[in-house]
Amino acid sequence: MRHRSSVIALVSVLGTVAVMRSVACAPARSGRAAAAEAVYVAPGEWDKYYGFLSGGQSGSVFVVGIPSGRLIREIPVFEPRAAYGYAVHENDARRQELKATGGTWGDTHHPAPSEKDGVYDGRYLWINDLANARLGRIRLDVFETDRILKIPNLQGAHGIAVVSPDTKYIVVNGEFEQPTDGMATNPAPYTSVVAFVDPEAMEVRFQVRVNGNIDIADSSKDGRYAFSTVYNLEQGKDMESMMVLDRDAVAAIDIPLAEKAVAEGKGHVRNGVPILEPDEVPGLLTLVPVPKNPHGINATPDGRYVVASGKLSPTVSIIDAKTLKILAEPEVGLGPLHTTFDDRGNAYTSLFIDSQVVKWNIEKALAGAPDYIVDRVDVHYNIGHLQAVGGETMRPAGDYLLALNKLSKDQYLPVGPDMPESQELIDISGEKMKVIASFPTPPEPHDAVFIAADVLSPKVKQVFDLGKDAVASGQEGIVRTGPRSVTVNMTMIRSAYKPETIEVREGDRITFRMTNVETIRDMTHGFALPDHDLNVALPPGYTKTIEVGAGKPGVYWFYCTNFCSALHLEMRGRLVVQPRDSKVEVADWKSASNVSGAVAGVPSTGAQP
Amino acid sequence: MSAPVARGLFLGAAALTAAALVLPLWGFLMTAPQYPDESLSLRVTTSGITGDVKEIATLQKYAGIRFPDSLPELRWLRPALGGLAAILFAAGFGRGRAGRVFGVAVAVALAGFLLGSAVLVQVRLHAVGHDRDPNAPLRGVKDFTPPLVGPKKVGNFTVWSYPHAGGVALGAAGVLAAAGARRRRRRGTPAGQTAATQAEGRTWHLSA
Repeated sequence: MRHRSSVIALVSVLGTVAVMRSVACAPARSGRAAAAEAVYVAPGEWDKYYGFLSGGQSGSVFVVGIPSGRLIREIPVFEPRAAYGYAVHENDARRQELKATGGTWGDTHHPAPSEKDGVYDGRYLWINDLANARLGRIRLDVFETDRILKIPNLQGAHGIAVVSPDTKYIVVNGEFEQPTDGMATNPAPYTSVVAFVDPEAMEVRFQVRVNGNIDIADSSKDGRYAFSTVYNLEQGKDMESMMVLDRDAVAAIDIPLAEKAVAEGKGHVRNGVPILEPDEVPGLLTLVPVPKNPHGINATPDGRYVVASGKLSPTVSIIDAKTLKILAEPEVGLGPLHTTFDDRGNAYTSLFIDSQVVKWNIEKALAGAPDYIVDRVDVHYNIGHLQAVGGETMRPAGDYLLALNKLSKDQYLPVGPDMPESQELIDISGEKMKVIASFPTPPEPHDAVFIAADVLSPKVKQVFDLGKDAVASGQEGIVRTGPRSVTVNMTMIRSAYKPETIEVREGDRITFRMTNVETIRDMTHGFALPDHDLNVALPPGYTKTIEVGAGKPGVYWFYCTNFCSALHLEMRGRLVVQPRDSKVEVADWKSASNVSGAVAGVPSTGAQP
Repeated sequence: MSAPVARGLFLGAAALTAAALVLPLWGFLMTAPQYPDESLSLRVTTSGITGDVKEIATLQKYAGIRFPDSLPELRWLRPALGGLAAILFAAGFGRGRAGRVFGVAVAVALAGFLLGSAVLVQVRLHAVGHDRDPNAPLRGVKDFTPPLVGPKKVGNFTVWSYPHAGGVALGAAGVLAAAGARRRRRRGTPAGQTAATQAEGRTWHLSA
């Protein structure tokens, strides 16, 4: 009897466990399936958004499809890329420009697309080089770097922002303070400047001096103020001295007032740029005191507020974007770095130390309501920036948010001590946030922006218009331009280079003027020349001119690096470098190509019967 | 009653034939997996071949196809079409028995021209698919004959061949000329035929 009851008890326990397991597993399984469905973009289909992620120390911009997380392209900006033929060769104009403005690497942080009426118009994307105080501009019709600007009087070009709503300026913040006269021996406190760059001309129009380290930038939605977080008001030069004051500041620069002062000649011109001193222009600079060492600064889409994230303080400071008064400083969690927004009055703040995204309601926080925190979600790990789709514009979409995490730890297959960067896509369409996907990238995206595919994709060109410098089909040839210089006018189209054989003499300088005369999309040809440090890629319609030394006497096969056609492997040609004192004439050498037979002693597998 | 109708039919045929002088006569549309949303096309007009000539010339050398880059036939095509348009126009104003005979002759000439052209084009297309470079790099593309109208698989491409606006206009001109000639012949029937049978006849002609 006792035996039977224990059997019944065992069966009932097992049954309960089985039922509980099935109940517990069912939602878990469907949650995975729902997440997979949410980010799945079928082969041949397009993502909903272009995601532009800064490449950090890769010096580039990564273009990623959202929601799939698929890497679509890398746009090199400050670092040469052989695969794209970007700034690789010593004589390349862009390479020389990079060298002249700071070097052939960069540290990109904040992608800023052009705006019209407060939304992205798909024309340009600007990106900073923190290290070398540069600003790059990318043309979004061709996804190519178009201009590089060296910003004078400034080091550490960190925060940048487009001045809303119509891209009047690009604001560039100098984070690394400098002696005001540029002299290393000057013991006076260091200061820095905020630069205002004309977006079309890519010239610095004026700068405004600000004491301290000028960090992240944004503008008010009406274009009145340029906002920056500023830390180290102490103007200290080591860690300890930077932490003394309890409050640092949000700097608000009155842009119309600055323009007026510049027009009145109040700027002190240094390196060709007028610098405005705030104590000479009353009202130009307002410092709003916020908890020390703040980081992110983000204007709300409705233009009413600007939110500074506390970093070392667990708070965000909500500032009135018109009166510049602090309205509230709600606690959100440990290490708040950046804030972004949806279309329903909610803000999302990244918590670096908590490794979380916190969702909070702006109006409730302002009203002091206890339930202003709506939700929290864990991210992996140590999130830096976060960005919701359209969160920087006047029309946020409220669908996806990307968490750009600084550490990935255990999230991906281990690949040695240097782990990839981790991005997590969060569905923010509901009350609760849902982390639905994770994707790694090379180092190191800091920030991201998203442009709707239906806004940008119709503007994208897939074949370059032939430029004035293009070599036309039929105009190919080799021209000796001097005793030691040769110009090769070359075209390429499936599956041949014209001319296919180029004969020069040792000591010659060769100028290759090359045009890819293809007229259909995706028909890029490469031109790689062994032992000459030369590898470029030419998209359809593109022309490139490169000068190269002939090198040692020998036969060098140049070939197409970009797999193009059924005869891709046959797409090659010869650079024949003759010794300078060679008596072999071109005609002799050409006739030698007609000599049949194999090399003595080497069995030929291709001998005709 | 029917004289103006016959005249209209011949003048219409003349106008359509004249239009074919400037409209594309024949079209080719080529689709392949690696040309999504961007099929290649060729149009034959009286002045030559237009469209994606360069891209098709680039492609065809892989399979040794010698698509003619100029068509000598086009030299006489313009005068032929011009002449046909002129005699169709003249036929519109034909009267009596001579007019009837002339109308029939013109319609037959146009029909003969259309048939002859179709045969010539088909011969050309056969040559395109068969008279290929034996040293072409790509193996495995079998000889082929694109039909005058319709699809044909050639390697990775499906080639659609079809009459373009000018070709359709010429076909319509043939129909109008034939209808005009028939109507003239009916008009020559003995007197006393009832209006009803005339009407019936008209209906029959129109539906033809």
